[in-house]
Amino acid sequence: MNAQWSKNPWTVYRFPGRMEVEKYVYTPGLHGLEFAKALREGRIVGTKCGDTVYVPPTTFCPDMTRGEIAEVLGPWYVESYTVVHESLEGKPLEKPIIIAVIAPEDAEGALVHYVDADPEEIYIGMPVEPVFRPPEERKGNILDILHFKPSAQA
Amino acid sequence: MVSRPNIHVKSKVAVVGAGITLFRRRMLETPRELAWEAAKQALDSAGLTIRDIDCVVIGSAPDAFDGVHMKGEYLADGSGGLFKPTVRVYVGGGTGVFVPIAAWWHVASGLCRTVLAVAEEKMSPARPHPQGVFAYIWDPVLERPLGPNLLWIFALEMRRYMHKCNASKETIALVSVKNKRNALDHPAAQAAANITVEDVLNSEVLVWPVNRLDVSPVSDGAAALVLASENEARRITDSPVWIEGVGWTLDNTHWYNRELGYPRYVQYAARMAYKMAAIERPWRDIDFAEPYDPFDYKELHHIEGLMLARPCEAPKLLEEGWFDRSGELPTSPSGGLLGVGNPIAAAGLMKAAELFWQLRYEAGARQVKKPVHRGVAQAWGDLMQAGTVVVMGN
Repeated sequence: MNAQWSKNPWTVYRFPGRMEVEKYVYTPGLHGLEFAKALREGRIVGTKCGDTVYVPPTTFCPDMTRGEIAEVLGPWYVESYTVVHESLEGKPLEKPIIIAVIAPEDAEGALVHYVDADPEEIYIGMPVEPVFRPPEERKGNILDILHFKPSAQA
Repeated sequence: MVSRPNIHVKSKVAVVGAGITLFRRRMLETPRELAWEAAKQALDSAGLTIRDIDCVVIGSAPDAFDGVHMKGEYLADGSGGLFKPTVRVYVGGGTGVFVPIAAWWHVASGLCRTVLAVAEEKMSPARPHPQGVFAYIWDPVLERPLGPNLLWIFALEMRRYMHKCNASKETIALVSVKNKRNALDHPAAQAAANITVEDVLNSEVLVWPVNRLDVSPVSDGAAALVLASENEARRITDSPVWIEGVGWTLDNTHWYNRELGYPRYVQYAARMAYKMAAIERPWRDIDFAEPYDPFDYKELHHIEGLMLARPCEAPKLLEEGWFDRSGELPTSPSGGLLGVGNPIAAAGLMKAAELFWQLRYEAGARQVKKPVHRGVAQAWGDLMQAGTVVVMGN
C-alpha cells in the first residue's frame, strides 16, 4: 500500500485501504431455517405466539417467550409501495420495478418484495399473492418467491 | 455496608439473575436469537418476565464481527429492549464487563429499578477470518501499511512481559492448562481440555512467542444479567449479589507512551472500583478473580494490574498453584476465555456472571474450594486499552 503521489502539489495525498474481511456467511437462525425450508416447498411460515402469528419468524416472541412455527396463508395486501425508475448506478431502468411492503391478513408483520404489476394500477390495499419459482429452481431463500402479483379481490 | 468515599448512589445495586448460551464457533442461531436465549435464561433464573424490566443495556463489540451495522438496534428485540429505555455500550473487548457497569449506573442513579443487561457476539460469519476485522483498529497511515494483525500486539506485549518479569513460556503456558481444565466443568464451554504444558509449547507457532494454544478461540455466544435496586432485589431473591464497586479507564492507543509490561489501564480502573468498594488491600480482601484471559500471559498481566499480586510476582504464584480452584486466590474458575470461549462482549459478561454464580454457591463443580465473600471480574479492550472492572460481594 503506497501513497499515490501526484505531480500536482495541491493534491492531498491519499492512502488507500482495503477491508480484509472479504465476505460474510450468515446463519438464518432456528425459525429462519424453517422459513427457508418452507419457501422451498412453496409455503410461507411465521412464529406463533399466543393467538398471533408473526412473519418473518424468529425463535422468540415479543414477550420474550419461545414461539412455534405456524403456516401463514394470507391473503396478502400491499401496505405501501414505491416505483424504482433508476438502477443503483443511476441508469434509467427499461422497466420500472415496484417494491412493496406486503402484509398478510392472518399474521402480524410483513415481507418486503417485488410486485409484478402496472405502476399505474397498483394501490395501497391491493390484494396480491406470491409467485414462487419452479420447485427445481428454489434455493431456500427469499428469492424463491419471484415476486408478488395482483390477485382477485379476496 | 461501609461508606462509599467517592460516590453518592440513590440505591445499592444487586445482581439477581444470570444466563448464558453455549459458546461455539458457527452457531445456527442468529445474533438476535443468541441474545434472546441468554436474556430469557437470566429472566427465568430471577423469576421475572420482560414486563418486570424497566431498562435494557446491550453490549456488543465491533459491528463488523456479526456483520450487521448498528448492532444495538439489531439486537434490541431479542434483548427485550423494544419500547423501553435501551442503550448499547461498546468499549472494544472491555465491553463485556462494561455492560454490568452501565447497568449499575442505570440503577444506582435511581433511574431504573430493574435492568436486563445482555452481551452478544457472533464472530463466525466473517470470511476468510474474523481476524480481518482487527486490521481496522490500527492507525491507517502509520501502522496499517505494515499489514499488522491483532496477534502482533499480543506477541510484542507478551515478549516484553517475559523479558521484564523473567517469565518463561513454560510458566505462562500453565495458565492455558489451568483454564482449559477449569472449563471442563462449564456446561457452555467450547475449548475445555486436559492438556499439558508440552501441548501448548508444541502447538503451532502463530506469531512468536504466541502459539495456537496460548490463544482463546473464535466464538459465537451471548450472556445476560438481571440487575435490581436494593428494594427490588430483596423482593426478588433471598441471596442477591451486590455490585460493590465499578471502575473503567482508557489508556493511550498509541504505542509510544504505553508500558507494555504492566497494564496501567487495569490498575487505574481497579483503583476506582476498589475505592468504591472500600477495599484497601485487594490481595487479601478479594477471594477469587475472573481476570480477562484472551491469551494466557494476559491473565498474569491482569492479575498484577488488579493488584492481586505484585508486578512480576504472578508467574511464581501460578507455579505454586496459588491461582488454582483450590488455591489461595482462584483465578478464572469458570475456565475463562481460553477454556469457555471468547465471543468478545459475551465472554466478558460470562466472567461477571461467574462472580454471581460463585457468590451464590451455584457454580456446581466449578465452585471454588474456599468460602467466598467477594470477587472481581475484569475485561480489556484490545488496541483501545480500555480497562473495565467490577467487584461483587454476597
